[in-house]
Amino acid sequence: MPPNKKKILIITTNHSSYPGADAVGQARLAYEANTYIIRVPDPVMFPEDFYLGAFDKGIGGIIIMSSGSDCPYEGAYERLSKRVARVYEKMKARGIKADRLKLTTICTVCRAAFLKEISEMEKAVAAA
Amino acid sequence: MDEKIKEEASKDNYRQEPKVGVYICHCGGNISDVVDVKKVAEELSKYPGVTVAREYPFMCSSNGQDLITEDIKNLGINRTVVAACSPSLHDLTFRGVLQRAGVNPYLHEHVNIREQDSWVHKLDHAGATAKAIKLAQAGVEKVRRKDPLNAIRVAAEQRVAVIGGGVSGMRAALSAAGKGLEAVILEKGPRLGGKLLDLGRLYPSGEEASAVVKKLEDLVRADKKITVHTDADIDFVGGFVGNFKINFKLPGGKSQQVKAGAIVMATGYEHYKPYKGEFGYGEAANVLTLPEFISLMKKLPAGRLEYGGREIKSLALIHCVGSRQVEGVHKPQADGKINDYCSRVCCTAAINTANQIKEKYPGVRIYDVYRDIRTYGMMHESYYEQASKNGVLFFRHTETDQPVVTSDRTGHNVKVKDVLTWGEELEFKADLVVLVTGLVPSDISLIKSQMKMPSSADRFLQEVHLKLRPVELANAGIFIAGAAQYPMDSTEAMASAGTAASKAGILLAEPDIPLEPFVAVVDEKKCTGCGLCPAECSYDGALTMSEKNGKKVAVVNPALCKGCGACVAVCEPRAIDVAGWTLAQFDAMVEAIAKE
Amino acid sequence: MSDMEKIEVDALVVGSGIAGLQSALDMADQGLSVVIVEKRPSIGGKMISLSKVFPTLDCASCITTPRMASVSHHPRITTLTYSTVDAIKRENGVFTAAVTRKPRYIDEKECISCKRCEDVCPVYLPDEYEEGMGAKKAITIPFTNAIPQLPVMDPEHCIRCGACARACPKDCIDFLQQPAPVEIKAKAVILATGYETTPMTAKKQYGMAKLPNVISPMAAERLLAPHGPYGRVLRPSDGMVPGSIAYVQCAGSRDKSIGVPYCSRVCCMYAIKQAILLSGSLPIADITIYYMDIRAFGKGYEQFYNNARAMGINFVKAKVARITEDEKHNPILRIERQEGSSAPEEVKHELVVLSQGLRPGDDVSRYGLGAELNDFGFVKLSDETVSSAVTAGAGVFAAGVSKGPRDIPDSVVDAGSAAMEAISYIRKL
Repeated sequence: MPPNKKKILIITTNHSSYPGADAVGQARLAYEANTYIIRVPDPVMFPEDFYLGAFDKGIGGIIIMSSGSDCPYEGAYERLSKRVARVYEKMKARGIKADRLKLTTICTVCRAAFLKEISEMEKAVAAA
Repeated sequence: MDEKIKEEASKDNYRQEPKVGVYICHCGGNISDVVDVKKVAEELSKYPGVTVAREYPFMCSSNGQDLITEDIKNLGINRTVVAACSPSLHDLTFRGVLQRAGVNPYLHEHVNIREQDSWVHKLDHAGATAKAIKLAQAGVEKVRRKDPLNAIRVAAEQRVAVIGGGVSGMRAALSAAGKGLEAVILEKGPRLGGKLLDLGRLYPSGEEASAVVKKLEDLVRADKKITVHTDADIDFVGGFVGNFKINFKLPGGKSQQVKAGAIVMATGYEHYKPYKGEFGYGEAANVLTLPEFISLMKKLPAGRLEYGGREIKSLALIHCVGSRQVEGVHKPQADGKINDYCSRVCCTAAINTANQIKEKYPGVRIYDVYRDIRTYGMMHESYYEQASKNGVLFFRHTETDQPVVTSDRTGHNVKVKDVLTWGEELEFKADLVVLVTGLVPSDISLIKSQMKMPSSADRFLQEVHLKLRPVELANAGIFIAGAAQYPMDSTEAMASAGTAASKAGILLAEPDIPLEPFVAVVDEKKCTGCGLCPAECSYDGALTMSEKNGKKVAVVNPALCKGCGACVAVCEPRAIDVAGWTLAQFDAMVEAIAKE
Repeated sequence: MSDMEKIEVDALVVGSGIAGLQSALDMADQGLSVVIVEKRPSIGGKMISLSKVFPTLDCASCITTPRMASVSHHPRITTLTYSTVDAIKRENGVFTAAVTRKPRYIDEKECISCKRCEDVCPVYLPDEYEEGMGAKKAITIPFTNAIPQLPVMDPEHCIRCGACARACPKDCIDFLQQPAPVEIKAKAVILATGYETTPMTAKKQYGMAKLPNVISPMAAERLLAPHGPYGRVLRPSDGMVPGSIAYVQCAGSRDKSIGVPYCSRVCCMYAIKQAILLSGSLPIADITIYYMDIRAFGKGYEQFYNNARAMGINFVKAKVARITEDEKHNPILRIERQEGSSAPEEVKHELVVLSQGLRPGDDVSRYGLGAELNDFGFVKLSDETVSSAVTAGAGVFAAGVSKGPRDIPDSVVDAGSAAMEAISYIRKL
């Protein structure tokens, strides 16, 4: 890994996308090592400044892998997508390119989708 | 309730100086062939807050576990980070190690450097090693900010309230009592038995409905654990899991209250009532619904089928009345929606009735007008076959070409565009038209609105998940039995009701209901009382504003909070957090990850 | 044998499909100790190999894996996989089951599930988990989500090269492992023995399993699974993407001539579901379902059927009299329409799925538990009007498809009530 490569923060859910990331490993698929997975009950807990703060700290890109319609929490996905929309506005105001943040849905066996999201974010981070 | 939590937290929440032990697992080469585990341990031993960092071939083995126990004993380690396989495999293993060594098990952090590192970065040893170091450091940052947690326990009434005394309600009460719980049946009608009281000979047992009701009622009456209130008019349902209260009035206006740890909704169904003029119903003389016809048949002697003093020599059954409705073809219901669902039980019920007519009155001609015959049960197909043998004539129409019933003095004319004869328009005369009506939910609007119970698009009660949690409502502690959820026959209701009782039994397995400690907690000193967070909460009553020590603050009911964290995001002063998953932890983790 | 493994529990559950798992969980969560015996190497039953499930199209493994994990982590549940129940007898109110652990040829306690043995094994075999499509090694963890994550060696095809033994970091490989007897004592038994599909050869007019492009619905499930054998839908004979696909309904049900006069309850819905999934992955394909009656009777099912029609899936009410093929292995269906026109006609498709029905997964009468069977070999209830689980055998209860075909929602609902009957029976002992 080139030492100056920007890091990608991947926010996963206990319920769905974290086991999905495990499934990618169990299938011995490969992606790049500048990827850091953290897990939460639901990304809805993060305020807008959490994302902006992460960029300030030097994170290159953030992928929020939510549980989508499989979300065990009522109304959480709708709130999350509204919040992310507001984060985009703030990113725009600060001149951070929109493709450095992505909200997506990953299930426990969504291996191909998981890899696709990472490779797209790698491109966005490299271009930024 | 929150007094109780505070007390437990304060007992345990002495902030000892964090002493973190970090353990890197080789996983027999699975990790160490890619990740330089020695380097990871070396880096981590220099990291702030870390007392000791070790690497070992198999951390999950008993020797590996002993390493941790020894460090807790000898070095005073009070927080652990294990970097190994996925937490789904061994998080609980290591929490157990801490617990056995006298450390709060929630002070462990499991870092995944196998499934999410060595296995996916096989060709990038340096990258995988750098990543393992960062992930372990982030783990240290997280665990340093963890507080000891204890399961929250809510005292629960060891009693199940069953609303509805039909066969589902009786079965639910019997099963709950069978497990040793008290059960209270609240039935609005004067007798137990519900809709079965009006039905005749049931499929597939061939038994009279009244006999089935009697068998269940005898069991219920003989069970000392079950209390029955008939004519119970419920006027209030409140409370939450473990502590529900139901107020009801008995004849004479006497008010009573039942306290229960769990509620089973066995509120059943109603028969669809055709609107005036639907296939002549309510206008023409000899148009009945199937349940009306069944009641009639129960009263009639053998030999002569008659209605309104006239002998019935021919009869038409029209299926799917009030079911499988189609936008643009059928008139919407009062709420503007159509009944687009299949009512499941009516095909077999209609054919079962047709066979009984043929048995009792062999001379009667029967025409059966249907869209699909759905005799899906184990022995139901034999009813269909028997009906064909009995000479019942079947006509099949499409959803858009509905049959038309016209009436004159000589009786009814039924016109069907029959697809079985390749679309020919057929017409026959029938002395009696029987509408095979579907099932609609009972009117339980009062209870539903008081408890904010969710309904599906079909207006029946909505389960959390058809396969994962099929008899649970989103309201914790409330379960569904039988046709309150969806049309089903009485044998299917036995399964549904037994399972509803089982879920109540699980909930009330101990006198205190243990709840996950991962719920929202408020720092009252920081809370400004702004009131933004309750608006974000999807769970009614979980988060409210109230006065405390002369100050308006947010208050969490941990029995209702699901720990999603929606409230956390809107709290400017960061006064609210999900226990075990705080924002401060995540900020520190991101900081550690981002650092060059 | 003095060192025979002995297990004493409250309840024995035979079978670990969704019904068995759920009844075990419902009992254990109410304080009972439970042992589950499963003949296959992983728990999870048939459901774990399905793609997505009707009517919500959620992924089957996403729903099954959490259940499997809860069972495997439950402090009061023991699971014996790759083990057969040979006999059960009841004496003085206690059941004694003789169970055999089949050899996996590895040390189960030491194995760390790293798959190194599998990586180095040079022997490739058809993968039965993928319905014979795709390959597996002679030593393999049966599938990605299997629980336990333990490999099984196929001794018949192993060439004893020793590569696995050399690669194993824990020295787990044991070529000489023997079957091991286990004795289980329990107070109650729940039969959750599930189903097998009716055979592809059930109806001799349908090609007797010799037509390569006439496949089973289970094979179609694997083709549609996101992690299936080919990663996409291809037909078996030549790997072509099929442009025209047909479902033959009631190919193993509602048919006295094959001894299955009953309706199997699930085939209409799984065919509709597969058709919906197919039209998602093959948007230009033409999909036809030949049926007698569409039985979409569950919650949300009729709406699901309506969606399929709105998506352009053809529903043709017709009987399929015979299936043959042309020289390119395109199946040819001789159909008799029951609406529209009456003359028999021949229709060519590129891939055909026979909607097989369900029959009992096991002949439980061999245990001699007193549980009676119905005419078709499913477990009979002693009085289904008052209980959905009590059989004629004292202490013996039935859950799920062991009693007759039912779909996943109905099986899950059923399982809890079987657990409750067992609990109340044990309490009264």
